[in-house]
Amino acid sequence: MNVAVLEEVTKVYRVGDQEIHALAGVSLTIKEGEFVAIIGPSGSGKSTLMHLLGCLDTPTSGRMEICGKDLSRAGADTLALTRNREIGFVFQSFNLLPRLDVIGNVELPLVYSGMSGRERRERATKVAQSVGLGDRLRNRPPQLSGGQCQRVAIARALVNNPRILFGDEPTGNLDSTTGEIVLGMFRELHKEGRTVVLVTHDPDVAAVARRVIEIKDGKISREYAP
Amino acid sequence: MRPFLLLETALREIASHKFRSFLSMLGIVLGVSSLIATMALTAGIEIGTRTFMQQMGGLEYVSVVNKEISGDNIEFWNLSPGRTLMDAKILEEAVPLISHISPEMNHGAAISVGAISDRKQVIGVWPDHAIIGKHELEAGRFISDLDVERTTKAAVIGHQILATFFPGKKPTEVLGQTLLMNGSPFVVVGVLARYERDEDKRKRELNEAKKPSERVEIPRRGRSSRRWDPFRGKNESILIPLSTMFHEFKAGLFPMDAMESVRLDTLTMRVGDLNHFREALDQVRSALTVTHRGVDDFDLETREEWFDRMESTIAATRLSGGLIAAISLIVGGIGITNIMLASITERVREIGIRMAVGARGSDIFYQILIESISIAMIGGLIGLVAGVGLIEVLVRVAPSDNLPVIEASSIILSVAFAVLAGVVSGLYPAFRASKLEPISALRYE
Repeated sequence: MNVAVLEEVTKVYRVGDQEIHALAGVSLTIKEGEFVAIIGPSGSGKSTLMHLLGCLDTPTSGRMEICGKDLSRAGADTLALTRNREIGFVFQSFNLLPRLDVIGNVELPLVYSGMSGRERRERATKVAQSVGLGDRLRNRPPQLSGGQCQRVAIARALVNNPRILFGDEPTGNLDSTTGEIVLGMFRELHKEGRTVVLVTHDPDVAAVARRVIEIKDGKISREYAP
Repeated sequence: MRPFLLLETALREIASHKFRSFLSMLGIVLGVSSLIATMALTAGIEIGTRTFMQQMGGLEYVSVVNKEISGDNIEFWNLSPGRTLMDAKILEEAVPLISHISPEMNHGAAISVGAISDRKQVIGVWPDHAIIGKHELEAGRFISDLDVERTTKAAVIGHQILATFFPGKKPTEVLGQTLLMNGSPFVVVGVLARYERDEDKRKRELNEAKKPSERVEIPRRGRSSRRWDPFRGKNESILIPLSTMFHEFKAGLFPMDAMESVRLDTLTMRVGDLNHFREALDQVRSALTVTHRGVDDFDLETREEWFDRMESTIAATRLSGGLIAAISLIVGGIGITNIMLASITERVREIGIRMAVGARGSDIFYQILIESISIAMIGGLIGLVAGVGLIEVLVRVAPSDNLPVIEASSIILSVAFAVLAGVVSGLYPAFRASKLEPISALRYE
């Protein structure tokens, strides 16, 4: 089954009088259970591609189907709902809420899916324990190391049991050892059958994936299996 | 998102910026406290005025007053006998819409009991005076029809007269005692209740409850007192039958067949049914025109205009106080808007994160709105406490005749206004926040 289908998708940004063609006709299909890396230099359009795949944005033209739903012209609420149910994000800069503790951060997606408090906490605790944060549940992000923060982010991304897991330069802010561990976690998740999409500029990171899509000037320039 | 969780998130946010939150609620605190204070003050004035109106005979009270004769009438002025007992008799018999009539004559007399003597006003009355003047008896009886008919030398005295001429005696102890008026002995048949405002009553009772050694002497209120006592006149009453008054102080024998020669100082009456107020006045006017032989030398004075004036004064006080409070609430609201706008700018990234994990625009909207309402609500509650404090200060700094009264409605109203200010001031920041794009919000540094 396809979790993401893009057909001739373009994305044009307007900055002042200038039009920036971030994506100039991309067609792409990602199947369930795939481990994909999107690679390219900065400004290539890889982030824009991830934003579309992650339902943070809609294309200017072309067709976009995520988890069986045509979202080419979807409104903000539909996108939010899809993000909430089907998608988990792990960002380079962790993007945790500093005032909430580990449980509070991990349970955040469940809050917006309207789950009751007790159920939320139970599930968040279980997921946090599964990424090795069992003894840190009441700590806040400023009290955690970078690697621990990224674990919190991964737990948050997984808590809603999403169909696709995105990593946007997930090792960018980590030292190489911790980065290795985090990449190992993504690999494990893929082995468990989850669809994983990594976005990176680093070929070494991309090398953990089974399928690499190279983006250049808003187009797919190359696709290969490492 | 669940309301309870929204509230929790809002409170957490407020708690983590205590000083900033306090600054933003300051306007609401001031607004609510001034609203509470003005409403309590006006409520106090209103209750005081209403009590006073009631004590003065209420709206049903009508008084016949002399009028300057002018114009063509001037040549006929001596045709009219003026306000006489005849007026009272005619009104009693010919005007059914008037339920009570009180003709009165005043006379200053030297009053003495034993060694104590002083000059006081004595009033000659009919029994109806008790109703029109809203008198209550503490002991004995009022002037009766029989007293008037037989010109008895009976007297009903007010509480202050009791205290002056019978110091230390209880009302029941003076019944049957003799009081000399210009040397003529009168028997005290009744003592009127002590008329006082609730506030004074409370103070007095509190004082009396103490042991005699601890009692504070409550200073008697003279004319010089800066606090005006509306009941002073009533407490100083010495009432005797009207016929006796005429007989003793005016002109020898009571001329039953020459009632026109009994000139009155006061002629007041009470309309039986307020629904027929206008008709009653018309009837009175036509009856009196007959007794005054067509000379337009009298006017009917009602409380209507006076009460209307009092009402509109109260309304104006309310309005101006409310307006000032409303302005400070608006200013307070703007303060909240301002700080919420600053706060969402600071929290763009947080909003982006929330959106990335699935928060809808409406979730963000309610989050900001609830936060702003919470700030206003907390400010309102602090303002409530501050308002009560403000009233205490006002009472101490500028004591007035009327004790401020905090009504439940004013508490509800001011908190409601605070919440309203919170809603209104939160709407724009909440709208702004809900319209953020997730991508740009996430990238915001």
